[in-house]
Amino acid sequence: MKDWTGILRLEAEERNGKTVAKNVYFQGAFKVMRPIYHDDSGQACYYILNPGGGYLDGDRYQMKIALREQARLTLTTQSATKIYKTPTNPAYQETEITLKKGSYLEYITDPLIGYARARYKQKTVVKMETGATFLYSDIITSGWSPEGAKFSYDLLQLITEIYIEDELVMYDHIKLNPTSQTMNSLGFMEGYSHLGSMVVVGEQASHELLDQLYQAIREDTTEYKVGLSFLPVAGIIIRILANSTQTIERIQTTCHHIINQHFFNTTPSFLRKY
Amino acid sequence: MATAMNNNTLSLFQLCDTNFPTGAFSHSYGLESYIQEDQVHDQVTLSKWLHVYVHEQLVHSDGLASRIIFDALEEGDLDKIWKLDRMLTVQNLPRETREGTQKMGDRMLNLVSSLYDVPILSQYRERIKQKQSFGHPAIVFTIIGHHLGVARSTTILYYLYSVISSLAQNAVRAIPLGQTAGQLVIQQFQGVLTEATDKILSLDEEDFGIISPGLEMSQMRHERVHIRIFMS
Repeated sequence: MKDWTGILRLEAEERNGKTVAKNVYFQGAFKVMRPIYHDDSGQACYYILNPGGGYLDGDRYQMKIALREQARLTLTTQSATKIYKTPTNPAYQETEITLKKGSYLEYITDPLIGYARARYKQKTVVKMETGATFLYSDIITSGWSPEGAKFSYDLLQLITEIYIEDELVMYDHIKLNPTSQTMNSLGFMEGYSHLGSMVVVGEQASHELLDQLYQAIREDTTEYKVGLSFLPVAGIIIRILANSTQTIERIQTTCHHIINQHFFNTTPSFLRKY
Repeated sequence: MATAMNNNTLSLFQLCDTNFPTGAFSHSYGLESYIQEDQVHDQVTLSKWLHVYVHEQLVHSDGLASRIIFDALEEGDLDKIWKLDRMLTVQNLPRETREGTQKMGDRMLNLVSSLYDVPILSQYRERIKQKQSFGHPAIVFTIIGHHLGVARSTTILYYLYSVISSLAQNAVRAIPLGQTAGQLVIQQFQGVLTEATDKILSLDEEDFGIISPGLEMSQMRHERVHIRIFMS
C-alpha cells in the first residue's frame, strides 16, 4: 500500500559546525517548519506539523529521518497527536530513523490522545551506527471522550525497535487495549491514567547516569511512579505512570537535562509550542 | 492406562520439578515489589498477580516464543531460534529480570546437556560462549520437549506450569503463606494454564513482546529494593 496520508523525509548533515537539511520533502498531512537554532551549538530543531489536526480513520503516515555523521537534531511535534475514532481501519504511522556515527537525534513527542473508539498503531525503527546517540520520549494519555470517561479508545499500539549495526538491541511493545483489559487493575495502569516512556541509547550511558537519574526523579509521593533500568546495550529506559501530561513532562525534562549534561555537557533548549 | 502415559512426557516432567536446579527459586519477576507494597498479601491477591503475569506477560514472551520455536524446530529453521533468543532478551527491559532469566537459561542449558545429547543444545551453548546468543529457559525447555517427541501444546503447557509452580512456591516463602494455600493456587491454575496455552496457540506472531506497564514497572523497581530475598 503506497497511499500515504502524509509523508515526511528529512535528511540532515553537519556543515561547518552547523546541522543543516540535506533533503527535506513532505507531502499530504505532514509538514515541517524551517529549522530553528535555539543556541549557538549548531543543533537544529525541527517541528513536525499535522495540518489535518488529527489522525482519522485509516490514515497512514510515514516518516524517514536520517542524520549524517556528526549531525545534531531535535525533532518534536508541534502539539499533541490526536487519534479520532476509526470505525473501519486503525490509523497507522511508521517511522524509520537512520543515525550515522557521531550523530545525535532527540525525538521528543507530544502526548498521544486517543479519542473514543480510536485505534492506532505506530512502528518506529531506529538504525544506529556505533557511536550514534538517540533519545526518545513519548506520553500516552487516557484519551478523550465527550463524557470524560478515561480509556475510551479501543487500541493504542506502539512498537519501537532499535538496532545498532543491524543487530536488534531493544524491542519495546506497548499495546493498550481497554476493550479487553482492565486498565486500572494490578499489572496494568494500576490507577494511573498516563504512561510516559523515555529511552536513551548511546555509548556514554552508564550505571552512574542511571543512579543520577534515579536520585533526581525518585518519588516521595503518590502523584507518580517511576521505573528505570539499564538496557541490554549502553542505554537507559525510564517509565513513568502518572495522572497528568504535565507531571510526566516535568520528569522527562529533568531527565533530558541530566542526560544532555552527562553526554555533551549541554543544556536542552526549551521547546516553545503554544 | 499407566503404560499409555507417554514415557517421554514423564521425561519432560523432570524439567518442571521445582527441585530441578535452574535457580528459579531466587527470582520473583517483580512479585517481591508487590509483596513489599502490600498489594500481594494472601492467596487471593497472589492468584490475581499470577493471573496477570501469565495472561499478559508470559503468553506474549516465553509462551509465544515457545510456540514459534517449536515450529522452527519442526522446519529445521535454526536462525529463527537464534532470532527469538535475541528478541526474548532485548524485549525484557528490566535489567534484573533479563539477566536473571539469562542466567537460568544458561544453567538449564548446561544441566540438560548432561542429560540429553541434542546437537542444537551444543550449538546453543557454543553461541552463548561466543556471545552470539543469550540463553533463555523457554528455548531450552522447548528444544527438549521437541526432542522428546512431546506435542507442541503439551510442551507449552508444561513450560507454563514449571514457571508458575516455582513462582507459587516462592510466594509461599515470601508473603508468607501456608503450604496448603500455595498448593491450592497451583491447583486453581490448571484451568488458567490451559486457557493461556490456547491463547498462545491463537496469537499472531506480531503480538510478541507486549508488556504490561505495571508488571514491568514492578520489575524495574525491584532493582531499588534494598531488603530482598529474591534477585529479581
